[in-house]
Amino acid sequence: MTVLEAMERVGLKETTLTIAWIKDAIHHIQSNSKDKLKVTKQDIIKAVDSDDNKYLLPADMIAVDSISVKDTSDSKYKRIRRLNTQPYYLLEDTAP
Amino acid sequence: MSSNVEREWFYYLKGRHILLYQLLSGSSSERITQSGVIRTREKELMYPNEDIADGLRIEYTALNEPFVSESLETTTATASGTDISFALSGTRITTDNTNNFWDTTSGFVAGDKIRVQGSASNDADYTIDSFSGGGNSNMVVSGSTLTDENTGERVTVTQIPKEATSPDETSHINLNKMLSLAVVDYLKAMVYEQAGQMDLKEYYMKEFYGKLGDNESNKRKISMSFPAGVYAVR
Repeated sequence: MTVLEAMERVGLKETTLTIAWIKDAIHHIQSNSKDKLKVTKQDIIKAVDSDDNKYLLPADMIAVDSISVKDTSDSKYKRIRRLNTQPYYLLEDTAP
Repeated sequence: MSSNVEREWFYYLKGRHILLYQLLSGSSSERITQSGVIRTREKELMYPNEDIADGLRIEYTALNEPFVSESLETTTATASGTDISFALSGTRITTDNTNNFWDTTSGFVAGDKIRVQGSASNDADYTIDSFSGGGNSNMVVSGSTLTDENTGERVTVTQIPKEATSPDETSHINLNKMLSLAVVDYLKAMVYEQAGQMDLKEYYMKEFYGKLGDNESNKRKISMSFPAGVYAVR
């Protein structure tokens, strides 16, 4: 469906506003139903100080689908499990 | 070396960060000292203790190519065969089938974005620049660097949506028909919100989420049958 067709169905005349609202709608869709997935990879580093287990979530992320780590014994990415609570004894850890 | 990662690695989400943890008593850690004493407590966690190139993989949704230049319903050109070769010189993908295989038989046109799968070393996305050779047997492409490769592998070339980076009225919404109709409901909801008619806004938002649900259930068609009860009216 073209942007023009969507505008005609609704009776809108402002293209820029329509495009902005369509992006909002796609944002809602991606937040709820995962229509289209994107993959990013980052290097894991050997931790030497307290913040070396911190990795940034992608800036354009709407919803996480899965997080995996590469198993170097067979070079396969395997899903890892989420912790419900942060391990308390590692807070401000200076010797991880 | 990391192993058993699905059992021994964990993550915790905190703000904009993923915090990675590894089981201290896991298979990649030394459990028993030379004196035979177990060094770690069970289920104790530690930070990652090794470098792994591209080790963390995140799969997520994003506002990814919201507009495309052709509707998804007509982005259907595809070709497959074991007679497809690749040449760096001339940046072309060639078929031994010279009977207008790319354009007439398979439906590709210049400007299409394509994805190559199944090749030994040329799996990537490309853009078709032109066709050349007898019977248009060569597809001249750009976008990724080709590696010389002979025929033999079962190669599949599929047309994929091409992003409209500067969307206008002629751009297509990068969604299937059901989700595009959901977007129309969302636009109506926004129009009524601007007009202050919140009841109609709520109605169309409900329609929007209903269509999202329909689209999901369309992927999972399940039929259920229930045994008739003893006293059921037949």
